[in-house]
Amino acid sequence: MIHKTSLMTATILFGVAVIPVALTAVPAAFAQTPPSNSAPGPGNATTGHDAEKSSDKFDAPSPYAPQAPGVNAANIPDGPPAEPSEPTPAVSQISSNPDHDDWPAYGRDSNATRYSPLDQITPENAGRLKRAFVYHTGSKPAPGQINKWAAETTPIKVGDGLYTCSALNDIIKLDPATGKEIWRHNSDVKYDSIPYTAACKGVVYYTASTVPEGQPCHNRILVGTLDMRLIEVDADDGKLCEGFGYHGQVNLMKGMGESVPGFVAMTAPPPIVNGAIVVNHEVLDGQRRWAPSGVIRGYDAETGRFLWAWDVNRPDQHGEPQPGQHYSRGTPNSWAAMTGDNEQGLVYVPTGNSAADYYSALRSPEENKVSSSIVAIDVKTGSPRWVFQTVHKDVWDYDMGSQATMFDFPGKDGPVPALIVPTKRGQTFVLDRRDGKPILPVEERAAPTQTDVPNDPRSPTQPWSVGMPRLGVPDLKETDMWGMSPIDQLYCRLKYRRAKYQGEFTAPEISRPWLEYPGYNGGSDWGSMAYDARSGVLIANWNITPMYDQLVTRKKADQLGLMPVDDPNFTPSSGGAEGAGAMADTPYGIVVSPFWNEFTHMMCNKPPYGMLTAIDMHTQKVLWQHPLGSARANGPWGLPTHLPLTIGTPNNGGPVITAGGVIFVAATTDDLIHAFDAKTGKELWNDVLPGGGQATPMTYEYKGKQYVAIMAGGHHFMMTPVSDALVVYALPDSK
Amino acid sequence: MATLHKPRNGAEWATVCVAVLLILLGLPLFIMGIQLAMIGGSFYYVLFGAALIVAGALMLTGSVNGAFLYLAAWALTWPWAFWEVGMDGWGLLPRLFGPTIIAIAVALTIPTLRRIGSPVMSSRGSMV
Repeated sequence: MIHKTSLMTATILFGVAVIPVALTAVPAAFAQTPPSNSAPGPGNATTGHDAEKSSDKFDAPSPYAPQAPGVNAANIPDGPPAEPSEPTPAVSQISSNPDHDDWPAYGRDSNATRYSPLDQITPENAGRLKRAFVYHTGSKPAPGQINKWAAETTPIKVGDGLYTCSALNDIIKLDPATGKEIWRHNSDVKYDSIPYTAACKGVVYYTASTVPEGQPCHNRILVGTLDMRLIEVDADDGKLCEGFGYHGQVNLMKGMGESVPGFVAMTAPPPIVNGAIVVNHEVLDGQRRWAPSGVIRGYDAETGRFLWAWDVNRPDQHGEPQPGQHYSRGTPNSWAAMTGDNEQGLVYVPTGNSAADYYSALRSPEENKVSSSIVAIDVKTGSPRWVFQTVHKDVWDYDMGSQATMFDFPGKDGPVPALIVPTKRGQTFVLDRRDGKPILPVEERAAPTQTDVPNDPRSPTQPWSVGMPRLGVPDLKETDMWGMSPIDQLYCRLKYRRAKYQGEFTAPEISRPWLEYPGYNGGSDWGSMAYDARSGVLIANWNITPMYDQLVTRKKADQLGLMPVDDPNFTPSSGGAEGAGAMADTPYGIVVSPFWNEFTHMMCNKPPYGMLTAIDMHTQKVLWQHPLGSARANGPWGLPTHLPLTIGTPNNGGPVITAGGVIFVAATTDDLIHAFDAKTGKELWNDVLPGGGQATPMTYEYKGKQYVAIMAGGHHFMMTPVSDALVVYALPDSK
Repeated sequence: MATLHKPRNGAEWATVCVAVLLILLGLPLFIMGIQLAMIGGSFYYVLFGAALIVAGALMLTGSVNGAFLYLAAWALTWPWAFWEVGMDGWGLLPRLFGPTIIAIAVALTIPTLRRIGSPVMSSRGSMV
């Protein structure tokens, strides 16, 4: 008896010894960033006037200083500053009325619906999807290079070509059936030009009005590059279009003033609206208040000629800056895919924040009117026709990541040209495209204003789209804190209580961290939404990923080694949450980190972290909604659990909806591509990708067969495996 | 005054290990629990942490009451967990999974602790 008991105790003790090991197998979504600076915590800073004195080790370069070598990447001669002009009249583009088997634009069509009329793949047969081919773009980190890759690419398909770009902007035409490379244009983008992320969301297909069919560059492929060039090549042979810009290229750094490689970059395909290429660009977050301009510009799609500029702090000057001048610095930048409206002659620009996202005292009234907004710009003149703002005086990095989707809203007196505007807040606004007025009600609700940041008052109200279902969860409570055990859960409860949190729009704080939910990676990001106009169903995948932020005094920022990218002492590093930075030229730096347990790398809030929702746009009701993404590749300390449990992981990359009734979405950190039944949301199929599927899939038909393509490029910030594989699926041939 | 029981066989060594584990887990719960309670958070952790430390200490003296104390704290954790998060499976996981595994280990030490505490063992035992 004694013997038996001791044996049993020993067995159990062994069990206790392995608890820590066993616990690691507990399904847990782990967050998304590598170790980054944690918020310094309470008592960090003085809030008095010392804080105002900048102790910058490094004075900002004059904005008039010459651009560093490599900033004008192709050494394109600038020529004299151009006056504003109108685009060459354009012919109708196939993206306005795509063939049913094509996917001719980033968002499939000029409405950016991500809806395909293909119906060969159905809920009944989706489970039989197999890989048709894998194409390797060749773009991934070389040995010794820090991984800053996240290709985020959605190929396009027109006729006999599947056109895509590598993460470093090489343009590629593939055979849509075999993945065989037909041609490739080497864009020669250097590693140094990578901003936060090496991404190329897609290329643009354009049919020229001035070049007859059969001549070179009648049909063209356009790409905007990380190093700020527009490149146009012939769609048939990939040769540069000599008639476009300077031997096929346009230097977008003209007029930008001082900069260094990687400070500004294009990552999204520029729309072409009535013959005008509309160009936006990312400006690296968190560097300095007087970062290069966020100017939006138009260029002639035929010739590359400059058309106009919309420069927020030079609102009446639509030409290029005179010699010795430059576009206004630090203005809100737009990095998301824009939507072109040929009918209204408008481009819908999703804007971000002025530079130095978390401090607003140095912003002009003009900037405050147009940041974190949808701005409708007239493509003939470059003047805004209307502005709809989604966050007033944004200090939370709620920049607009999604491409807005156009649709006809069923109004009382017939269809209204409308725009679906997703946001990181999870508020989805529905606007009239003609005047920007909300079609569904928007309420201005009181927002917290208490802050210890001197002379930087917050807006007393913020807009809420009360007519649309919110893609979010209620304000976080202490009891929502999570972990594997009571100990790590308690750690997160402490973190929660130590932070300032007054719900959404909790104002920034210096003396202690503040909790930001939804946060800049929450809600809807660049993946955007998919809309099926026949059924009125809107599909959205979105995130529940709070952030833990703190303003730090300049002294503390120096101690933490926060310095701007153009500082001579700056050393590039990867990872880290986007936006943590020096915010040079302001009194404060900013520490941005996920709201997680730094030791286990598990989010502090309980699952789910990612969701998939279907909304009926006729009734604005949720049809179904469920967590998206499994625990198979996620777990504490970054260890995969291999559990097929649907926990709901952070996700980046949009959905596709098809007439066959199937939704395709990858995006999740489980490295799967998923197919769901559009009616019920039930998962029909999934497949393990060679890298993270942080991109929006697309689908096309070629020679009678439907294919589904996904760029499995991975995402450095999501900590998913990097790869250069474009994976294409199809149903097996029936024998 | 209770003194430490000196383990004499595998079962008793195992019991000591469980007791030490309780104290090691109880300390961070108790310390961080105090910090949490002081800034307006839940009082559960300071109480649970204290229960673990006392339970572990009692078990080290050979008292079966230590085991019963932990099991009582564990049993009370269940209604607390449901009160905090209801039927939310993900919410219940950190609150109940680990403590329940420990409860099984503690329950299995009861026969050993009983034997240590019985008069026959006491008369022969050297340390009590």
